[in-house]
Amino acid sequence: MGDNVIVLEGVSKVYSQGKIDVKAVNNLSLEIERGEFAVLCGPSGSGKTTVLNMIGGLDIPTSGRIILEWKELSTLSGTELAKIRRDRIGFVFQAYNLVPVLTAFENAEFVLALQNVPKDERREKVMAILEEVGLKGLEDRRPDELSGGQQQRVAIARAIVSEPAIILADEPTANVDSVTAESLITLMEELNKEKGITFLFSTHDQRVISRGRRIIRLRDGALDLE
Amino acid sequence: MKILPFAIRNVGRNRQRTLITIAAMGLAGFIMVFYASLLNGFSQKIAENSVGMSIGDIQIHAEGYRNDPDLYKMVTNHSDIISQLSSRGLAASPRLYGFGLAATGSTSAGVRISGIDPVLEATVTNLHQNILEGSWLDPSDPKGVVIGKKLARTLNVDVGGEVVMVSQASDGSMANDIYRVRGILKSVGEGIDRGGFYLLNDEFRSLMVLPEGVHEIAIKRLNESSELFESTAIVSRLAPGFEVLDWHRLQPIVSRMLETNEAGTLIMLIITYSAVSMVILNAMLMSVFERIHEFGIMRAVGVTPMQVFSLIFTEAMLQALAASLLTLAVGVPVSLYYQTHGIDMSSLAGDLSFGGVAINPIWYCKVTPSSILIPIIFLFLITALAVLYPAIKAAVIQPVKAIYHR
Repeated sequence: MGDNVIVLEGVSKVYSQGKIDVKAVNNLSLEIERGEFAVLCGPSGSGKTTVLNMIGGLDIPTSGRIILEWKELSTLSGTELAKIRRDRIGFVFQAYNLVPVLTAFENAEFVLALQNVPKDERREKVMAILEEVGLKGLEDRRPDELSGGQQQRVAIARAIVSEPAIILADEPTANVDSVTAESLITLMEELNKEKGITFLFSTHDQRVISRGRRIIRLRDGALDLE
Repeated sequence: MKILPFAIRNVGRNRQRTLITIAAMGLAGFIMVFYASLLNGFSQKIAENSVGMSIGDIQIHAEGYRNDPDLYKMVTNHSDIISQLSSRGLAASPRLYGFGLAATGSTSAGVRISGIDPVLEATVTNLHQNILEGSWLDPSDPKGVVIGKKLARTLNVDVGGEVVMVSQASDGSMANDIYRVRGILKSVGEGIDRGGFYLLNDEFRSLMVLPEGVHEIAIKRLNESSELFESTAIVSRLAPGFEVLDWHRLQPIVSRMLETNEAGTLIMLIITYSAVSMVILNAMLMSVFERIHEFGIMRAVGVTPMQVFSLIFTEAMLQALAASLLTLAVGVPVSLYYQTHGIDMSSLAGDLSFGGVAINPIWYCKVTPSSILIPIIFLFLITALAVLYPAIKAAVIQPVKAIYHR
């Protein structure tokens, strides 16, 4: 397995839509090595988000195995999966998905609080990360008081603050303007280089695809061309 | 994750819904505290009237007297029994009973003649404190009698008026005498109101030619904290061969009603709180459905199903806590007010009686720890039950479905 963070072995996902079964992912096998800056791309409906969700343990494959750092996800309970997501995976969603009742600081702090990291240590880490993502001075703002780009930066801060094994970013630049998108990609690139965090994007944004160091193309739920 | 601060913040998010939920819960709590206190007061008054007006805690009779109140079925050694009871901390009053016809002018009414010792009777019952007009029996006024309120009306007699008593004495002779009404009793019970005719023991003996014995010894525990069954056992040992019964067996209807009052409170609690549980369930379901997306995010970043459950459960408990404080703040002062002032039900109920016991038309609350705590404990229980379904629903939802739920 080498230094693979993620291994997919013959993974398929079938959704039932009424009487029709829709194959979102079809016998996909894939390995993501530690420190990669990889991009899953393909047209809408190619299965990018489904793959990301299954890797993150948010969704369950119909068949096949997903192994994250030597642990097969399908064998884990809901609570164990939650702990894996808390400690080893960071998520960045297209729609930011921040907790609306929490401030930027508290959203970024959320995972550390779940990990029971001491308060002082939490504060130190979160303040450093917020500064790193360019949100210094905006710590006390709630999501509805931040721009789209700023919200996505909070989401990135939340994803990286606990130093996970991999960050799964689903269309992270889809809802922001091109300048913000550029700065977000640069930010994540820097984090990848400086901290060695593995990134796996799902996108059809050419700006992201062009910056990816590994491009994984999907078509109809299967590998198209690597 | 620290559940409590997060739950506090969530409760404050939709203030209008939270306030409505807390108000509904608090209103139910208030109703139940007030209802339980009122029923407590009502029960206590009935027990007081039943025991305090005529029965006492325990009574001694000759075997068979209660079923067949024969003039000759008597407790013979009553003086010894009374003195022994007194040494055991039990007050006792000897009573004599007979039946006769009381007449004034052209009206007459059947009465139960009660011969009592006014001094000893005052240690057992508080009949002497329930004089509507005139005054209580006095040994210095042997021909003075006290009669029931309705009897006075039937005989059309006032205090100071004369009443002729006609009966059959124990020797078979005609018993008759003229008495003067010293006092008229308040409404204390249907039997006493319609046919109560009280005179001194010695006058009774003289009228009915009954020199020895008594028909009844009424007993009261001077120490009310002592157990009734223990006192009854003591009395049974001191009066062998006689029938000894406590007031629960003497007034089974009243006793059973008081027992069922507790069940009544419980049923009322269940009915009221069932309605409230629907409000809580609805509010919590709305709150959960509104936040499914948010729960999805939380699950995605590592919140466990148990933590989601705990969060929603804590939010509901916080609302129950606020409702309990509201219940205490409103329910207790209102109940305490009516404990002192009472609610006048006379316009609705008039003269009420139950099992022969008069019910005061002014109903008083009686606030006790249980009348406060039981409704509050039930409030928490019902909230916990009502929130189970939404909390479980939120906890087990698949994260991927929750995240994309809009």
